[in-house]
Amino acid sequence: MKSMAIVIRDDSYDKILTPLAFAYLTASEGTQVDMLFVNWAVKALTAEGAAALRIDGRHAAEEAMVREGVAKAGLPVEIYDIIKALKSTGCVNFYACSLAAAIFGVNEGNLIPEAEGIVGAAWFLNDKAAKAEHYQYF
Amino acid sequence: MSDIAATATLDTSGKCCPMPMVETNKAIKSLAVGDVLEIIATDVGTRKDIPSWCERTGQTLLSMTEKDGVINYHVRKDR
Repeated sequence: MKSMAIVIRDDSYDKILTPLAFAYLTASEGTQVDMLFVNWAVKALTAEGAAALRIDGRHAAEEAMVREGVAKAGLPVEIYDIIKALKSTGCVNFYACSLAAAIFGVNEGNLIPEAEGIVGAAWFLNDKAAKAEHYQYF
Repeated sequence: MSDIAATATLDTSGKCCPMPMVETNKAIKSLAVGDVLEIIATDVGTRKDIPSWCERTGQTLLSMTEKDGVINYHVRKDR
């Protein structure tokens, strides 16, 4: 697989793990991965927002167990550290949706340096998602 | 145990997807064509991941053995 595009909407700690793990897996093999963070998930592209991610709902009480499992699996426990690990592959680009950024308080001042920038969804969907070999939505 | 001589060994024991594959990709890049990478894994997901990765990336799976929950692979780097 040469390229993959992923749109991430879910922002709870446990739910964001899967797309990040898939991106890490494929990027380690040289696949170009482009990720667009929309809705609340856009806050994961800020240091404060990434650190604030928690497990929601009926699994909230099991967060410590999940974090322990993530560490045992060999992944960094903190989401920002996972993002940094993905970036270090040289094959992953992180984009913040401009609508989500405007609504949820993300701007070029608080965006993490690992992110490519704030982009319009039309550009991402046409220039990245539509051209990718594989497209996923979380 | 296998009698195949390994050039390098990667022990991923205890780690789970995606790390065994992430680390295998890193390890193979550091080897020369013809070298043999031994991979030790406990993640049962590697039973399918490693053989399909070999086929996809053009490497040769020389052996795959399993004992007491530990899976041992020998992969020759062919490209």
